[in-house]
Amino acid sequence: MQDRPNAAELAQAVREFVETEVLPGIDDPRLRFRTLVAVNGLGILEREISLGAPLVRREVGSLARLLGHADPLPEDLEELRRRASELNRELALRIRAGDIPEGTLAHLVATVADKLRIASPRYLERYR
Amino acid sequence: MTTDGASTISVELRERLVPIFGADIAIERLALLAGGASKEAWALDLRTPQGKRELLVRRAGGGVIHQETLTLEDEHRLLEVASAAGVRVPQPYGYLGEIVGRPAFVSERVSGETIGRRIVQRPELAGAREVLPAQMAEELAKIHAIPAERVPFLGGIGARDVLGRLTKEVDRLEDAHPPIELGLAWARQRAPEPSETVVLHGDLRVGNLAVTATGLGHVLDWEFGHRGDPAEDVAWPLVRAWRFGVDQLRLGGVGDVEPYLERYNALTGRHITLASLEYWEIVGNLKWAIGALTQSRRHLSGQQRSVELAVLGRLAAEMEFELLHLVERAG
Repeated sequence: MQDRPNAAELAQAVREFVETEVLPGIDDPRLRFRTLVAVNGLGILEREISLGAPLVRREVGSLARLLGHADPLPEDLEELRRRASELNRELALRIRAGDIPEGTLAHLVATVADKLRIASPRYLERYR
Repeated sequence: MTTDGASTISVELRERLVPIFGADIAIERLALLAGGASKEAWALDLRTPQGKRELLVRRAGGGVIHQETLTLEDEHRLLEVASAAGVRVPQPYGYLGEIVGRPAFVSERVSGETIGRRIVQRPELAGAREVLPAQMAEELAKIHAIPAERVPFLGGIGARDVLGRLTKEVDRLEDAHPPIELGLAWARQRAPEPSETVVLHGDLRVGNLAVTATGLGHVLDWEFGHRGDPAEDVAWPLVRAWRFGVDQLRLGGVGDVEPYLERYNALTGRHITLASLEYWEIVGNLKWAIGALTQSRRHLSGQQRSVELAVLGRLAAEMEFELLHLVERAG
């Protein structure tokens, strides 16, 4: 077990440092833009560390229901991620073959909304 | 990927400029404005007997060139043809051949705001925003009237070819993307029959225009020029990503679609419908979702390490979300 700060706290510390101490000193607009992108990237990392696991679980559960798989969900996070990747491949192949499961659109809207909770929460809040 | 310094290229560059501007010239300033793996842009101030000229040098970058973009020689040729057709473009002055091993051309360096977020938000550009929709329609009408035989190097593609190319790009990503598959399936089922094929800019939107207080100054970034369905070009600036946060104004965060489309149809005699724009807006979101994922793979594969490209991979979800809602609405 690592000592604190934990992963999310460490990412936050780096982001705050870049925002408050590095960014104000940058005049070059191109470097400034890329630094803002880096800050955004650290924000994504923080949210993924704190919110990621339950969202992957939710995605795998929804995919399994959609595709009619009854086997229990894995506990291990890495295993869940692998399962999500496999099931997404299966769904993509079915869509490509024209065999689109009932409820696919609703599943995808909910799943992409969950991706945005981590990748771009402001976009999701603003979206109408 | 490396970027050459100004001192590395200035000697050869000056030699290549002599046939265009004469022997009595001197480089007063040469500064890299934007680097990148595919293209560099250099600001060049050139002293000539007629006075100082503010020029822009576009030069290939050190990385792998996008497959779908024009070579610099063809991009320059397209600029010349567009300029002759009365399109507002930076005046092209000449293709320079290779400068220290990489092809380049020189054009006028124009002023005006190019950053999308500023164009849609800055108070001093409010007047410009009022006239931009009609001006964008006017430039598109002129571009679409360019005789295709003047630019024989442009590839020509209809909706089915566009979707075929996008499918190939999706297949090159190593993981599966069900939202994109659903969008592609929707678009394949409704692909319009090939209609007329015209010269397209390929990337005309807020962010690729130089905008001044009085409106559209110049149309920039011609590297995605190709031939295709005119509605593809007319719909592209509607894509939500190009509204830069002013989402309620569907035309690029600056205006409503209807007057823009009416102006375009009036100028061209075409009868592009709102339904056709909705179709191509969905294809546009597909294109940019896949584009963002593909760009992030340039970083991941090591072709071009860049935090900007890396983060784009995560932002593809924004285009997927929009895509799904547009598909849901269109039925």
